[in-house]
Amino acid sequence: MAIETLLSRQNQDGGWPYTRGSSWTEPTVYAILALLGAGEHDAAERGMRWIGAMVRPDGGWPPRGGVDESAWVTGLVALLPPERLGTGRYEAAIQWLLRTTGQESAFLYRMRELLLGNSEPPEQKFPGWPWVPGTAAWVGPTSIAMLALRRAAVRRASRAIGERLDDGRRFLIVRMCHEGGWNHGAVRPLGYETHPYPEMTGMALAALAGWKSPEVERAITVARQFLADCRSADALNWLRLGLMAHGQLPPDYCAPTVTCRTTPETALGLLVGQKDNPLLGGLHGATV
Amino acid sequence: MKGPRRLKGPHEITRREAVAASAAAAAAGTLLAGCRRQRRIRIAEVSITRAPAYEQNLYGTMRDILRQHRLDVRGRRVLLKPNLVEFEAGSAINTHPMVVHAAMEAFLSLGAAEVRIAEGPGHRRNTLDLADAAGYFRVVPRFEDRFVDLNVDDVTLLPTRNPFSRLNELYLPNSALGADLLVPIAKMKTHHWVGATLSMKDLFGLVPSGIYGWPKNVLHWAGISECIADLHSHFPRQFALVDGIVGMEGNGPIQGVAKAAGVLVAGRDPVAVDATCCRIMRIDPFRIRYLQLALRDTTADIHEANIRQIGERIAGVATHFQLPPDFSDV
Repeated sequence: MAIETLLSRQNQDGGWPYTRGSSWTEPTVYAILALLGAGEHDAAERGMRWIGAMVRPDGGWPPRGGVDESAWVTGLVALLPPERLGTGRYEAAIQWLLRTTGQESAFLYRMRELLLGNSEPPEQKFPGWPWVPGTAAWVGPTSIAMLALRRAAVRRASRAIGERLDDGRRFLIVRMCHEGGWNHGAVRPLGYETHPYPEMTGMALAALAGWKSPEVERAITVARQFLADCRSADALNWLRLGLMAHGQLPPDYCAPTVTCRTTPETALGLLVGQKDNPLLGGLHGATV
Repeated sequence: MKGPRRLKGPHEITRREAVAASAAAAAAGTLLAGCRRQRRIRIAEVSITRAPAYEQNLYGTMRDILRQHRLDVRGRRVLLKPNLVEFEAGSAINTHPMVVHAAMEAFLSLGAAEVRIAEGPGHRRNTLDLADAAGYFRVVPRFEDRFVDLNVDDVTLLPTRNPFSRLNELYLPNSALGADLLVPIAKMKTHHWVGATLSMKDLFGLVPSGIYGWPKNVLHWAGISECIADLHSHFPRQFALVDGIVGMEGNGPIQGVAKAAGVLVAGRDPVAVDATCCRIMRIDPFRIRYLQLALRDTTADIHEANIRQIGERIAGVATHFQLPPDFSDV
């Protein structure tokens, strides 16, 4: 049923919308991954052609056609099989990820803060990834970039990838909410504690696959609580992925019936159930 | 600086006619002739209507409000833009769905060709789940058919003329740009970055997160108040509604405490509506930066004397909203 839904939502241009309308990069990547896993190669190939046409000269991808800027979705594109994306495009995407950081980690910004006598907040100590260049790093794009770099490291490890992954882990750990888990990445704005979101907690846990620490244990506890209460398809997908990444999805877990309202929700729902899930790079529970 | 636009209307007067010290202003105007023209003010009408609770008679109240403002929406496309922020059932974070449904019914009863509901939350990516948790699916029939997630709507890149912020251009959602009337339905809340979040700040929800991310951090780097003023300038056809039945005080817009003000505030000029809301909240509107910015190159004004109040008087409904610590002096 989910496969039929995805096939019926594919646009004429080969891409997918979030719900209806024009094609966007994020739903298209998830749909391609899910359909490849389900053996629906024709539709996936049309999607790949749409993705291929969207690449920008800097090696990144825009969130949708007609937008003249590469963005966080480059990390998603780098989750696609390199042999289908094209090795050159794949390498360019990885390079784009390696040179992209939040603006608060940029040399000029740090220098200005230093000259102004502002001390560096702990949450800005480690570079993460922004949604769009020129802005701060956040939990969502950092998690996606880490998932892509983890797969890249399995394919061909490098010092540059290892360093960015290390920094990414530290970034996520310092951005964790006091009670455990993650929200979009604002931990203590103006000194007030904030609360975690289920979908971001799952996403960050997936990015931290194989990483063992007391903070991760706390996040797993929070994720399991969310899993019991939450009724959002997006959140449940990411919680399951996050817990699977640590081998912590209860073996007898039975997902509640929820409505998948968007293409990413439908596609991720399929991906969660597939063996060798490409989002986790076949690394469930393994230490990298 | 560009000269002011001159708009004609039955309520248009010059600031000189409305404010004291006209002689000094005239002298200054003469001296500055050729450099800067007199700013013209359009008297805005703002209604304050008592609405003690989210209950059935809200539907009649809303129809009365629209009639008071003599809105002609026959055959027009209306876009209602509530404020949806977080999943917390029963909290005062989000615009109450009954206010939005009442507005939808009222606009349809006035002959609107189409009334849609649209929002693009800044933190949570799963917009429809957020709307579901906020009660919209329960209260608004066929909600999903009427709703547009502005974060992932089709977009157009628009230049900002004379921007206040560093953003010279901005992608904006076609559903909002194509509406004949944009109706921000904000929640009356304090805000820890800008003092108060009302109908003008509500326009942040128009900026597509699908392009700019969750949060829409590009707006923070470019200046929050400046971006609010820029967004306001992009949407000249608005009718602002503020849900002050139960608002929020303290560390708004998310972690504050529910505060019942028992009012709906409305008008065609969001600047005047927001200034009036500030006065109801006992906040000095002249200390809210985006309100001041929005006065440039417009006929809007925030002096109480230049806002024609309909319905309840401010003094009759004003109630002190506890402000975030950084704004305690406004």
